[in-house]
Amino acid sequence: MRKNLSVSMFVLFVAVLALSACGPAATATPQTVVQTQVVVVTATPGPAAPATATPLPVGSVQITGSGATFPLPLYTQWTYAYQFVDPSVVINYTGVGSGAGKTAIIAGTVDFAGSDSLLSDQNYTDGKDLQMYPMVAGAVVPVYNIAFKPVPTPEAGKTAIVLPKLILDRQTLVDIYNGVVTKWNDAKIVALNPGLVDYLPDAAITTVHRSDGSGTTEIFTKSLTSFSADWKAGGASSVEWPGKGLGGKGNAGVAAQVIANPNSIGYVELAYALSNGMSISQLVNKAGDTITANGASVQAAMADPAFTFTDKLTATIVDSGVKGAWPITGYTYIILHTTSMTDCVKAQKLLEFLKWAQTDPAAQNGATTLGYSVLPDAVRANVLAKLGEVTCSGQPVLK
Amino acid sequence: MLKSPQSLPETHWLARIRRALHHGDRPWQGLLILVSVLVIVLMLAIGGLLWVDSSGSRSAFGWSFLMPTATPHWDPVNDVFQAWPFLYGTLETSFFAILFALPVGIGIAIFLAELCPAWLRTPLTWMVELLAAIPSVVYGLWGIFVFLPQVVAPLGIFLGNTLGQVPIVGALFTGPIPASGTSRLAASLILTIMIVPTIAAVARDVFLAIPLAQREAAKALGATEWETIWQVLIPYGKSGILGAVILGLGRALGETMAVTMVIGNSIQGGASLLDAGYSMASIIANEFAEAVSQLHTDALIEIGLILFFITLLLNILARFLVWQVARQAPQEARA
Repeated sequence: MRKNLSVSMFVLFVAVLALSACGPAATATPQTVVQTQVVVVTATPGPAAPATATPLPVGSVQITGSGATFPLPLYTQWTYAYQFVDPSVVINYTGVGSGAGKTAIIAGTVDFAGSDSLLSDQNYTDGKDLQMYPMVAGAVVPVYNIAFKPVPTPEAGKTAIVLPKLILDRQTLVDIYNGVVTKWNDAKIVALNPGLVDYLPDAAITTVHRSDGSGTTEIFTKSLTSFSADWKAGGASSVEWPGKGLGGKGNAGVAAQVIANPNSIGYVELAYALSNGMSISQLVNKAGDTITANGASVQAAMADPAFTFTDKLTATIVDSGVKGAWPITGYTYIILHTTSMTDCVKAQKLLEFLKWAQTDPAAQNGATTLGYSVLPDAVRANVLAKLGEVTCSGQPVLK
Repeated sequence: MLKSPQSLPETHWLARIRRALHHGDRPWQGLLILVSVLVIVLMLAIGGLLWVDSSGSRSAFGWSFLMPTATPHWDPVNDVFQAWPFLYGTLETSFFAILFALPVGIGIAIFLAELCPAWLRTPLTWMVELLAAIPSVVYGLWGIFVFLPQVVAPLGIFLGNTLGQVPIVGALFTGPIPASGTSRLAASLILTIMIVPTIAAVARDVFLAIPLAQREAAKALGATEWETIWQVLIPYGKSGILGAVILGLGRALGETMAVTMVIGNSIQGGASLLDAGYSMASIIANEFAEAVSQLHTDALIEIGLILFFITLLLNILARFLVWQVARQAPQEARA
């Protein structure tokens, strides 16, 4: 009796194992099945298909990463899609913040880190063989909530007046956050917005900033630093904000404060502002061009030849001087150890994943859909070349 | 299967071990001591870790880190840190939260224990305890979208126009409050709502523990309901009520999420309740994950250390007060 029981338990156990092994595919909803097919089809001609002659068992390679929250939605989508490209790999990325991610990769507790901010010289010394790889770029936009003076009701037969978008220039944005420009009907703002002259209220400006340390704040404050010498607080993931601004936690917290406080201005990621239908200010860039934030204007900033990459593949892309370029943009990076990875199978799988993410059309489309800007071809070629230089036990990882 | 102890001869080795261990009493006692010591070790370990890890900040700023200042700096870029705005924010919001919550909490407790009709008692007790079970992030969300615009903002304008005009006290109520209502006042009121159930539940138990004879004696002497509660029950339960207040204060000091969401996270605020402020728990939660420099991390850990010390001091103070009350009137302190 007992023997019988244990045999049937074993059978049950094997059955459960088999079931769970094909779990993702079996339990996928119709929508994800479609996505799977797209990914597989587009990936087939690419280099991402498992190159090993005998494929590794499903889920046998576990890769962990942690770091910035800014690219978290994208990395989640990429790692999800990739399990259909190479089922032997399971990639887990946790959004713990760029700083924590950098600490983790230096300590070697993760296989890769995500970061919006650059490694310091001390970090490179501590981490020995670290290399940064830009993955995508994002934009930060000023969002506003102004209680405009009432627009007169149109006379019969005429269409109602639609107020144009607010326009700010670089100096005025700095002045607002410095508390120098304090009213919405300040002469500087009025001069930039002829279409709003009659409607800008005589009301105090409330500035809103991120209270939590974030890459968004770093991109924004680095831009302010570049915009004007009047910005003294510097550029970092958290700074000492001048004036009596309010702090909101996360993009959502800033958005909530801007919506709740009439006559306020804040800054959030472009993707967040677009998906929540917020009023986004236009900016006059260094070239004197009035820019609307969108994918094209971010691409223009990334393509600015003035922004050259260091040998660590880092570039600060704020305050572009070319026509049509949005001035508040930044890359988000992956950080890897280039020579000291010990598990060569894992290293190969990780690099194949990164290569797939940069070259697969579906992966790149996914990034665009989520509001990120993909790398220009020249930059991508650089990234792929640098990925090719990674070695494990002295041998190049990517063949 | 082991045989039962009775069936073993006295000289059997197993029986001897059992006797030596007092039939399991000794291991049980040892286990309990281990668990109790673990709590103390844990306390010391946390305190020690905070102390060691904050050494960079302590040696860089010394006592000036804690000193009151009108122009506070918290500048991660230039590595200048002062804890005053956070210290002040935490103490002010917790103080007012206790001030508002004490009468309400005690009132609820008296009603539940003394005056409430029996059919209402269970549902009401249940509702009060449910308040304590709501996650703080939910309080924060509700605060941002409902409580702040509907209650705090109008109340802030009213206070600014009335109490704000009074000399001396007015310094605490100088407006204007931000239109969204985010302010220390908002944090105090949200904290009030969060600690009322704690105070009410503990104080109710205190009142229920007071012997019926006390009430009967008071009534027999001709005391009214009010006199019984005010002159007999409250003095009798004093030390227990004090314990309830300390529990509430502990929660108010350490509350992070809800406060972060409604306090405004601004270090520039003045002394007024109507200004946006910052709290110690909030700054740690906000900046620790993305700290800019090592000194920034150290300064945040030192804030944690200060919060730890404040809580510790408060508990010692509470012990002392309870002990004082108990010593003055030993027969009244049983509750």
